[in-house]
Amino acid sequence: MNLTLFRRDFLQNKLLIIIIAAVTAMYSIVVISMFDPALGESLELMMESMPDLFAAFGMTNAGNTLIEFIANYLYGFLFVLLPLVLIVIVTNKLVVRPQDKGTLGWLLATPVSRSKIAVTKAVTLIYTILLEILWILLCCIGASEILFSGELDIQRFLLLNSGLFCLLSLFGGICSCSGCIFSDSTLGTGVSSGICIAFVLLQMLSQVGEETEWLKYLTPLTLFDSTSIAQGDFSVVPILMLLLASIFFFGMGIFVFCKKDFSV
Amino acid sequence: MSNIIHVSHLTKDYKKGKGVFDLSFSVGKGEAFGFLGPNGAGKTTTIRQLMGFIRPTSGTVSINGMDCFLQAATIQKDVGYLPGELPLPEDLTGEQFISFIAKLKGISDIFYAHQLMQRFQLDGKQKMRKMSKGTRQKVGIVAAFMGQPQIFILDEPTSGLDPLMQNEFIQLVLEQKAKGCTIFLSSHIFEEVERTCDRVAILRKGKIASIQPIDTLRHQQSREFHFSFSSQEGATVFYQKMGGTLQEKTVILLSGKEQLPSILQMASSLDICDLSTKSQSLEDTFLAFYGEEQK
Repeated sequence: MNLTLFRRDFLQNKLLIIIIAAVTAMYSIVVISMFDPALGESLELMMESMPDLFAAFGMTNAGNTLIEFIANYLYGFLFVLLPLVLIVIVTNKLVVRPQDKGTLGWLLATPVSRSKIAVTKAVTLIYTILLEILWILLCCIGASEILFSGELDIQRFLLLNSGLFCLLSLFGGICSCSGCIFSDSTLGTGVSSGICIAFVLLQMLSQVGEETEWLKYLTPLTLFDSTSIAQGDFSVVPILMLLLASIFFFGMGIFVFCKKDFSV
Repeated sequence: MSNIIHVSHLTKDYKKGKGVFDLSFSVGKGEAFGFLGPNGAGKTTTIRQLMGFIRPTSGTVSINGMDCFLQAATIQKDVGYLPGELPLPEDLTGEQFISFIAKLKGISDIFYAHQLMQRFQLDGKQKMRKMSKGTRQKVGIVAAFMGQPQIFILDEPTSGLDPLMQNEFIQLVLEQKAKGCTIFLSSHIFEEVERTCDRVAILRKGKIASIQPIDTLRHQQSREFHFSFSSQEGATVFYQKMGGTLQEKTVILLSGKEQLPSILQMASSLDICDLSTKSQSLEDTFLAFYGEEQK
């Protein structure tokens, strides 16, 4: 871990982080303000009219409590895809572009070891993900407390976000690992974002109907069941599996980075 | 003289004849070693292995007795590196980049860096993306020299610099040499190497063709002389005596410096009206010496 490099790498993404944070805040506030226990009925009517479409976006059951509502409308799709965009772009800037453009040569020409460089970049990515999660927490809790004071089950909400953090870390691990393996910038970003988007699509398909339900076994998103967590059914094992997979991919990325030929 | 850089049977095979093959040489402490070769000869591939960016297919390469790949980070404490192509982070200014690299290198005193910036008239407030090739090169020079390392690895260092700055750079290299630093300089320009280096390796198609003291090479370096005569007869007589190539009233001669007096005497006895010289490119020089047998 090298602080100078961390600072530089993190600040490189400040504009992107601000934009994603603004979009996150907007969605949090808009969706939460739509919550109305009475209105739930009319939404349910809408859902009954086009169940497949709602189901694809993870909105199966609007729920009666605020946390169920949030889990359905935000954690099924938006809060997965939006941070994924952040992760893909940040990894591209941290790992892929320095190889592609050759600026990595300057780092390798300093007394900072390869393993330190790789670990610093992994920490920068995880830190960025963590910041996004904390921002989500702040926005959602803030909006809930102002609009519906006392309605949000904070403890469950924290569990929900710890699950999301593990899922996003897995995305981060996959992206940084692929960025380290491929020297070509198109492949480095393309393969990982392709895999992650495929996972999201598979989950959407698996929720549409019974014939496609088996697809859920092909995507790690199944391990993060936001609806169940919101209903108070939190189990550690799937979340731990996400975390372990994430550690595996980050580790592999660092390992490859230390051994690789960099023609820079 | 102890060896600082030691390369033994170094091979990096990129297939299809690309790469470097079975290179062996050593650079002693305080020596300036030139690495000459045309584009694509394998100069940068060799330097990447010295820097620990890539691993050799076979053979060993070490600096200060340490393996260049495995102990790269330790080696870098003593090395100043100036790459040939300078990809700089576009979003930083020259000053920001220099202070970033200084921190990574653990250089706390950037007084010398500022001196270098002044010396090369580098405006540090400019964003890198707006810089010309020459200005970027200056940023690279400051970054490579500011830590006052003992070893310099320079890859085509003067490309993009104007003649005045090229001269300043060569002075800087000579000062380091006088301080006892070891210098490894790759180039495709003979003059650049001639002015700084003690020994020169000539690289061609990934193999070392020869390693010679610079003086030997300097004597072998020949020039093209274009003798123009006012009459066709003069040109023909000169051509018959001296050989070379006859083009209308001009005779083109390839010659070393030694034969020059006798050639000039000959030319002045005829009706010479113009004389121009052209330095040979490295490739030409190379072909002139090794061409026939190498082909």
